[in-house]
Amino acid sequence: MSGVQLEGIVKAYGAVQVVHGIDLEVQEKEFVVLVGPSGCGKSTTLRMIAGLEEISDGDLTIDGRHVNRVAPKDRDVAMVFQNYALYPHLNVADNIAFGLRIRKESKDAIASSVEEVGEILGLTPYLERRPADLSGGQRQRVAMGRAIVRRPKVFLFDEPLSNLDAKLRTQMRAEIKRLHKRLGVTSIYVTHDQIEAMTLADRIVVMHDGHIEQIGTPMELFLNPANTFVAGFLGSPPMNMISAQVVAGDAGPVAEFGGQRIQLQQIPSLQNGVGRPVTLGIRPEFVSVADQSDPAKVRLEVDLVETLGSEALIHASLMGDPFVIRTDTVGQMHVLDGISGFTIQPHLVKVFDAETGQTLPGQVLEQ
Amino acid sequence: MSSDPDFISSAGPKTEELVFDAKEAQRRRRASRMQRVGDHLKREWQLYAMLIPTILWLVIFLYKPMYGLQIAFKDYSIFRGVAASPWIGFEHFETLFNNDQFLRALRNTLIMSAYGLLFGFPVPIFLALMFNEILNQKFKKTAQTIVYLPHFISSVIIAGIVITAFSPSAGIVNTILGWFGVDAVYFLTKPEWFRPIFIGTGIWQEAGFQSIVYLAAIAGVSPTLYESAVVDGASRWQMMWKITIPSILPTIIIMLIIRIGNILEISFEMIILLYQPATYQTADVVNTFIYRQGLQGGQYDFAAAAGLFNAVVAFILVMTANTISKRYSRTSLW
Ligand SMILES: Nc1ncnc2c1ncn2[C@@H]1O[C@H](COP(=O)(O)OP(=O)(O)O)[C@@H](O)[C@H]1O
Ligand SMILES: [Mg+2]
Repeated sequence: MSGVQLEGIVKAYGAVQVVHGIDLEVQEKEFVVLVGPSGCGKSTTLRMIAGLEEISDGDLTIDGRHVNRVAPKDRDVAMVFQNYALYPHLNVADNIAFGLRIRKESKDAIASSVEEVGEILGLTPYLERRPADLSGGQRQRVAMGRAIVRRPKVFLFDEPLSNLDAKLRTQMRAEIKRLHKRLGVTSIYVTHDQIEAMTLADRIVVMHDGHIEQIGTPMELFLNPANTFVAGFLGSPPMNMISAQVVAGDAGPVAEFGGQRIQLQQIPSLQNGVGRPVTLGIRPEFVSVADQSDPAKVRLEVDLVETLGSEALIHASLMGDPFVIRTDTVGQMHVLDGISGFTIQPHLVKVFDAETGQTLPGQVLEQ
Repeated sequence: MSSDPDFISSAGPKTEELVFDAKEAQRRRRASRMQRVGDHLKREWQLYAMLIPTILWLVIFLYKPMYGLQIAFKDYSIFRGVAASPWIGFEHFETLFNNDQFLRALRNTLIMSAYGLLFGFPVPIFLALMFNEILNQKFKKTAQTIVYLPHFISSVIIAGIVITAFSPSAGIVNTILGWFGVDAVYFLTKPEWFRPIFIGTGIWQEAGFQSIVYLAAIAGVSPTLYESAVVDGASRWQMMWKITIPSILPTIIIMLIIRIGNILEISFEMIILLYQPATYQTADVVNTFIYRQGLQGGQYDFAAAAGLFNAVVAFILVMTANTISKRYSRTSLW
C-alpha cells in the first residue's frame, strides 16, 4: 500500500500560516494533481511531503508509515523540480546515476539501471552529454530519469513542465501520462495549469489560499464544481458567471437578471430559494446558439464571432460582463451569422449562493 | 577552372568588368562599414565616453612607463635621459644571470611562491566551505568578520604584530614555548624560520578576505541542486564534495590562473618589513633585490632589466596556465 495520507497538514512560517490544514488521501498507483493559482501553497505542500519543509502541524503517512520526523532520504520519494536541478558538471548518465551512487549501489547495478532508464526516456544517444548541451525537453527527461532510476514509492513533481514551450509541454505531458501507466508509481503532481491537471490526473485537488477547495476526478470537477472558485478555475474558456435572483416561474424556479429569465431545475434547494441572490454558472460549451427566430432565448450583445474550423468562439456581453460561447460550426453557420442569444437546458445551469459561492445542493450532472 | 585558356579568353572583356565591379563593391562595402561604425559611435557614444577614464589610466600609468623599459638595454644615466643613453644590448641581463644575489633572489621567489601557492591557495577555499556549513547565522557573521579583519590592517602594523609575537623577550610564541621548557628562539633572525613565518603571516592576513570570492561562488549555486540531493539521500559531506566543490571549480581555476600569473609578485613590502641582512639568504626575492639595486643603489638600468625579466616570466606563466586550463577544464580567463 504505497499511498500517501495527509491529515490536517499545516505550514506556518513564523506567525504566518500559508497552508491551513490539508486532508488528502492519495491511493496507491494514483496520479493526483494539486492545482491552483500561484502562491496558493501547492509547492509548500509538496515540499512537506518530500521532507524539504518541516511540517508545522498534522500527520503525514507514506506507505502506512508516519513520516513527519523521517529524513527525506528515508521517505522513499523522488522529486522532479521545475528548473530540472541537473548537475551542470556531470553528464546525463552521471546525473541519472547520482542518487544510486549516493546510496552506494554496485557499479553493475548502476550501469544497468542507467541504461534501462535511458531507454525508457529515449536518452540513450545523449548519455555522454552535459546538461548545457541538451534542449529543454531533453533536460526535463533527464530530471525524470533521475527520479525514475531510484524506483521510489512516490513521485513528486513540482511544475515540471513550466519551463518548456507550449508544444513541448503538450508532448511531455503525454509522455508523463504514458510513463505513469507503464511504471504505476503513486504520483503527486503540482501545477498551476488547469489543462495539465485535467489531462494528467486521476484525481484533481484544487487549492486556493492554503485550503483545498475540492477533490475529485477531472470530469467530476468539471461537471459539478463545488463552488465558483473551482467552476472558474477549471475549463477553458472559463465558466460564465451571471448575478441573478431566483423567482417563482410558471414551471418551477426561474433565475432573473436584467429583465431576462432562465428556467432552472426543479429541485428543493431552488424551489425553496425564491428571492435568493445567486450566481449562475454557465459553461461556454453547454449552451445552444439562437438567432432572431427563437423568442425564448437569452439575448446577448455579440462583439465577435471567431470561427476556428470545426468550432467557433462567440465573444459577447451580458449586462456589461463578458460572456463566451463555444459551439460547433457544422450545420450551424446560418444560426451563427445571425446570432443574438442562446438557450440552455435547466439542468446545465449551475446555481451558486451569491454570498458564499457554494453550489446549492442537489445539482448533480451525470458524466 | 581558371587554368582553362578558353575560359579566360572567352571571358576576357567580362573579367575586366567583373574586376571593376569587385573593386567598386569593395569600396562601397568599406564605405558602408565606415558608415556603420560611425552610426554605431553616434548611437552608443555614452558607453565609449565611460571607457575614456580607464583608457587614460592604462595609457598614463601602464603604457607610457613602458617607454622607460628600454633602459634595460641601455647604459642609462639620469643626466643623458632615456633617449640619449647608448644601447648596450643584453649586457645587463648577462650581469644579472652572473649575479649570485639575483640568482638567490630568483630561487627564493620561486620557492616562496610555490609554498605560498601550496599552503596559501587552498586555505580560502577551505574557509569558504566551512563558513558555508555553519548554520547559526550569528556565529557565521562573527566568524567571518574576525577572519576578514587582518586584511584591513596596514602591513606595517601586521609586521609589528608579527615581530612582537615572535620576539624572544616578550613574544607570545616564546612565552608559550617557555612553558614547555623550550629556550627562547629569536625567530626573525633565523633564515630557516623566515619562510614559514612569512607565508603564515600572508595566510593570516589575506585568506579570510580571499574566501569572499568563493563564498560568492557558493551563493550562486542553485538551492534546488542541494534539495534534489537531499531527497536522493546525500549527506552534507557528499553534497560538499559532489555539488559545492564542482560548482565552484571554475572560480577556483580562474583564481589559480591569476595566482600563477602573480607568482613572482611576492608581497615585497611585507618582506622588507620582516627581513634583515641575517635572513637575506632565504628572504631576499627578486622585487626586494630590484628595490635595493634600483632605488637604493641607483642602478636603474640594471634594476629595469631585472624587472623586465620578472614581467616576461609572469606573462609566460599566465599564458601557460590559461591555455592548460582552457584545454582541460573549459574554463579560462580569456
Ligand atoms: N520561506 C518562506 N517564508 C515565508 N513565506 C513563504 C516561504 N515560502 C513560501 N512562502 C509563502 O507561502 C505561500 C505558498 O507558496 P508556494 O507553496 O510556493 O505557492 P505555489 O502554490 O505557487 O507553489 C506563498 O504566499 C509564499 O509567499
Ligand atoms: Mg510553486
